[in-house]
Amino acid sequence: MKESAVNYDKVSRQARKKKRVKRSAIYLILLLFTIVNAYPIFWMIMNSFKTGQEFSTDPFGLPDEWVFVNYVEAWVTANIGTYFFNSLFVGIVALLICIMVGAFASYFLARFRFKGRNLLYGFFVVGLLVPIHATLVPMFILMQKLGFLNTHLALIFPYVAFNLSITIFLLTSFMSSFPKEIEESAIMDGCGPFRIFWSIILPMSRPALATAVILNFINNWNEFSFALVLINDDALSTLPLGLANFAGEYTTNYTAQMAGLTLVLIPTILFYLVMEKQIVNGMTQGAVKG
Amino acid sequence: MHLLKKPWIIAVGVIPALAIYLIFSIVPIFISFYYSLMSWNGFSEMQFVGLANFKEVLQDSVFWVSVRNNILVVLASVFGQIPIALALALLLNRKMKGAKFFRTIGFMPVVISTVVISITWRMIYNSEYGMINNFLEAVGLGFLQQNWLGDPTWAMIAICITIIWQFVGLYFIIFLSALQTVPSEILEAADLDGASEWKKTIHVVLPSIWNIILISIVLCISGSLKTFDLIYVMTSGGPANSTEVMATYMYDKTFEGLRYGYGSAISVLIFVFSIALILITTKLLRRKEV
Repeated sequence: MKESAVNYDKVSRQARKKKRVKRSAIYLILLLFTIVNAYPIFWMIMNSFKTGQEFSTDPFGLPDEWVFVNYVEAWVTANIGTYFFNSLFVGIVALLICIMVGAFASYFLARFRFKGRNLLYGFFVVGLLVPIHATLVPMFILMQKLGFLNTHLALIFPYVAFNLSITIFLLTSFMSSFPKEIEESAIMDGCGPFRIFWSIILPMSRPALATAVILNFINNWNEFSFALVLINDDALSTLPLGLANFAGEYTTNYTAQMAGLTLVLIPTILFYLVMEKQIVNGMTQGAVKG
Repeated sequence: MHLLKKPWIIAVGVIPALAIYLIFSIVPIFISFYYSLMSWNGFSEMQFVGLANFKEVLQDSVFWVSVRNNILVVLASVFGQIPIALALALLLNRKMKGAKFFRTIGFMPVVISTVVISITWRMIYNSEYGMINNFLEAVGLGFLQQNWLGDPTWAMIAICITIIWQFVGLYFIIFLSALQTVPSEILEAADLDGASEWKKTIHVVLPSIWNIILISIVLCISGSLKTFDLIYVMTSGGPANSTEVMATYMYDKTFEGLRYGYGSAISVLIFVFSIALILITTKLLRRKEV
């Protein structure tokens, strides 16, 4: 009797030990993943505060002395301020247009039955699969014909068009989930469809709208290839384009490049940390719902 | 959902979105079909040349290198991102301290602009000052140092690693949220049957998120077909065309070589290639499902 109790104790201690080892191994792997993910960013930010001299002798640790010359150089020579404004302007205008027309279309797609509704919805959503780069050359030709080349309009319209698919997808599936009694009383009261859209459906869609807004903004903010092809004027460049050009010109001044990158990176990361939930939702919903 | 007495109201609602989407997303595809039959340098008179552009593209060995690299990127993404993300998600899918932290850092690269990532990794791979070579030196493995992006044998591998790094987090979070939907009753039942964690994973957990895995594979393929920015900024297709993908090849020929017709022909091929690949994978995966 006694002996078996001792045995049992031993077994459970072993099991516990095994569990602890397993847990530590899991932590170790996840920690490794975190380091691999974060260290390149950290490496870059740290080195942006070093002199070129220190960067070449000690690229790993914290800076001995935090210097800001790189930032001055990046800000002055790279026009980061101008690019920042351009990105903000193009990004916000495009997202406003996209959300307005997208929400309006989604409302009709979600709340009304009409011929070709599914076809139309499918047509919008299939845009998610259009390989954007297949349209770079024709977009250039189209913008040339329209006279939009080298204006912000050349970016705003494609940004709206390519975000419409995900916007309509998110909003339509959200708006379809409301029970149909929602409108019934409003119709009884004599509200027209536009009124219902504006004062009932739109306010109710706030969570999905927030997701769509953030997603639109991130896509526009990070977009590079259309800007590369359609904008050929430094004063009109968006951040990704301006940054790529700056890094291309100052190929050997690594610390200044890093300062420029950090200037762009910090707002993105802050925005991400504050809005993490919505951002993650927006970017993964396509898969989880699809 | 209800029927509307005045169908023109629906048209009013849907047309703005449809117009922008058609003109700036669908029409360009047709424009590229049209221009692919022409020879045009952007200034002088256009000339109809029939299928000559296509014939020339298909005989260009650089084009086939770019196709191979596109396929490499797709394979690296599917076989790199998906398994790593799945393994990490399975590890984190339990009650543990710091779970939130691992998620936040895990997803971070996904929101960072591709241009920032490309320039950062270009410096990480730098043969003289780069993080990797410095690290190898520091741990006494200096003989492993390479000119990662300057050497045709390593450049494509280096790029694929960056692409995997950039998007592992996306699928990691998608799988994590899918894992949370696995019904706990089934898992408890398996526990009562004395199933080991490994067995539970294989027989219960993976089958119940199988759909999400398939969707993620399709997303991963269509996403990796869009690779352009990263390669354009990191290597512009070099050295010696060893990292050219179809989109960078198209960019070179069109905007550096001023051959709009030829570039349009490549656009058409990118479009056809992407749609074909996505259709084939969806078909294949569907069949397995049944």
